[in-house]
Amino acid sequence: MRKALSTLWDGRGFDLLLVGIPLVFLIAISGSALVYNVIMSFQEVDIFSLGTFFRPFVGLDNYIAVLTDPQAWPIFGNTLIFVLCSLGGQFLFGFFLALFFNMQFPGSTYLRGLFLVSWVMPGLVTGAIWNWLLAGDFGVINFFLESIGVIDDPIFWRSSPDFALWSVIITNIWFGTAFNMILLSVGLAAIPKDLYEAASLDGANAFRRFYTITLPMMRPTIGALLSLGLIFTLQQFDLFAAITDGGPNNSSNVAQYWAWQLSFREYDFARGATVSVLMITLVIIAAVFYVRSTRHEVRG
Amino acid sequence: MTTQIEFNAVEKYYGRYHALKNVNLTIEKGEFVALVGPSGCGKSTLLRTLAGLEKITGGEVKIAGELMNDMPPRRRDIAMVFQSYALYPHMTVEENLTYSLRTHGMKKKDAQEKAREVAETTGLSNLLERYPRELSGGQRQRVAMSRAIIRDPKAFLFDEPLSNLDAALRVHMRKEIRTLHDRLGATSVYVTHDQIEAMTMADRVVLMKEGRIVQQGAPLELYDSPANQFVAGFIGSPAMNFLPATVGDDGHSLKLELGDGNVLPYPGELEAGRKVTVGLRPEHLELVSADEAQFSLKLRIAEATGATTFLFTDSDPEIAVVINDRAAVTPGEALNMRIDPEQIHIFDRETGVRL
Repeated sequence: MRKALSTLWDGRGFDLLLVGIPLVFLIAISGSALVYNVIMSFQEVDIFSLGTFFRPFVGLDNYIAVLTDPQAWPIFGNTLIFVLCSLGGQFLFGFFLALFFNMQFPGSTYLRGLFLVSWVMPGLVTGAIWNWLLAGDFGVINFFLESIGVIDDPIFWRSSPDFALWSVIITNIWFGTAFNMILLSVGLAAIPKDLYEAASLDGANAFRRFYTITLPMMRPTIGALLSLGLIFTLQQFDLFAAITDGGPNNSSNVAQYWAWQLSFREYDFARGATVSVLMITLVIIAAVFYVRSTRHEVRG
Repeated sequence: MTTQIEFNAVEKYYGRYHALKNVNLTIEKGEFVALVGPSGCGKSTLLRTLAGLEKITGGEVKIAGELMNDMPPRRRDIAMVFQSYALYPHMTVEENLTYSLRTHGMKKKDAQEKAREVAETTGLSNLLERYPRELSGGQRQRVAMSRAIIRDPKAFLFDEPLSNLDAALRVHMRKEIRTLHDRLGATSVYVTHDQIEAMTMADRVVLMKEGRIVQQGAPLELYDSPANQFVAGFIGSPAMNFLPATVGDDGHSLKLELGDGNVLPYPGELEAGRKVTVGLRPEHLELVSADEAQFSLKLRIAEATGATTFLFTDSDPEIAVVINDRAAVTPGEALNMRIDPEQIHIFDRETGVRL
């Protein structure tokens, strides 16, 4: 015992202690909940058995039930559209802004900082703001579109099945663009200026410099950003709660919101857990890509 | 000889900072010109205006007779070797070399063929597949050089290309760059803060200070007849000794203001009583016996390096002497010195201009 303890002082055991503390913390806070969730997805859970841990195992029944649910595939489809369009929009606008502010005109750093406001705001507040902007009768967006003649009649963004999902996507793009811009700006700033000078002396015009220097040099940043973006987008919950509540008739419902609805609206905890386990799998795959892309960060 | 590069009355401002002041410089085809000066003198700025990386505020820049003022860098047909080498880190050595050929529309096969030829001459043949991060400093430097020569440009610009190398490699690359220049018959402009580099490599040295050209000429011309005290102090190592002196009543002698009335003879004729600065190169001072000496000072410290010995006197200002021998004097003893009067440089005390 004395010997085991002494390793704490002679240095060999101390590193184990350093690793152990955060590990215990992680298992207690995140790991246990995650494992509990996975276990629950293989059990039969109802409101009466919620308080116990030893519930009847039902194998893959919950998974079969979720995947054969007529709501499931439209919702997964919505999730796919939501993720792809949000990611694409955030990335393109973010990259454009990052390149724009990279020109370093007077005040560019301050203005760039101000853009972060959209990312700093709580999702529910962002949702509330966009509810006003998107409002059918008096919303600024309808007014604007009508003024320039794109539409004749107001669009009921939040209550029309054709537009409900898009109103959340637009809001989410606005919400995530600033974060994309900041990460991409950091990536751009890390590219040495003399590479561009060398390339222009080597005869490359601005367009060629962009795709032979900027893009390849940004690859690790872009990889990390898209993986992070995927994780954040799959976590997006507040905007759905604030803007459409998944409706009308599930037309703007996505997997993460459905999981919550199943668990806490329909009290079908097992299926709620099942949907979240399916999502965890996806997020883990994204996380692997993220970790790999940061590991390959090489410069100079 | 034809003129390859021309600067006419070039001015450059950064906001209110006046970086280049009325610079006039003509460089012949095939010439190797070194721009040298202390940091902040504008030598790099001048090079960058030639490359087109900086826009000039006034005057003209011409390459091969063509006005370049508004020409973007990519259309100037010049190659530059950067201090940082600026190799493309995400490309292999071969891709680095072929980049410029490919942007000019050469077929991939032909470009690779050319890259192999150049790599052959610069000793990079077996490194073509490597990435810059896998190369040593000297190898990176070679890649940067090869990338410049592969294009056969109108001029080569070098921006302190050797300052990231260790001393031995620097001396070696110095010769290699000069050999390359001669073999290619290229026109080269070489920026450095190291006067030894400038002196050993260049056909012509252009010395700059505070945005102006102070003096230009063959290396030994600057050494032998510096236009002013700044040039005299910058060229030569160790630096020239400067002593305050007054011209004697006869106009042919210099009374050194070292506190003990030492007098140097002077072959020329100067206005009696004029206050001047006397410049004596450490390597021109000879150690002699006491009765042959023109002046004597106490030795403070002797630094032996084997072939040469550096001696420093215990006086104000201190005088450095270089001898190609071991020192026979120990600190505290008198150093008896003389100098060939022809080797004495005289500058005006106020303006620093050579007299």
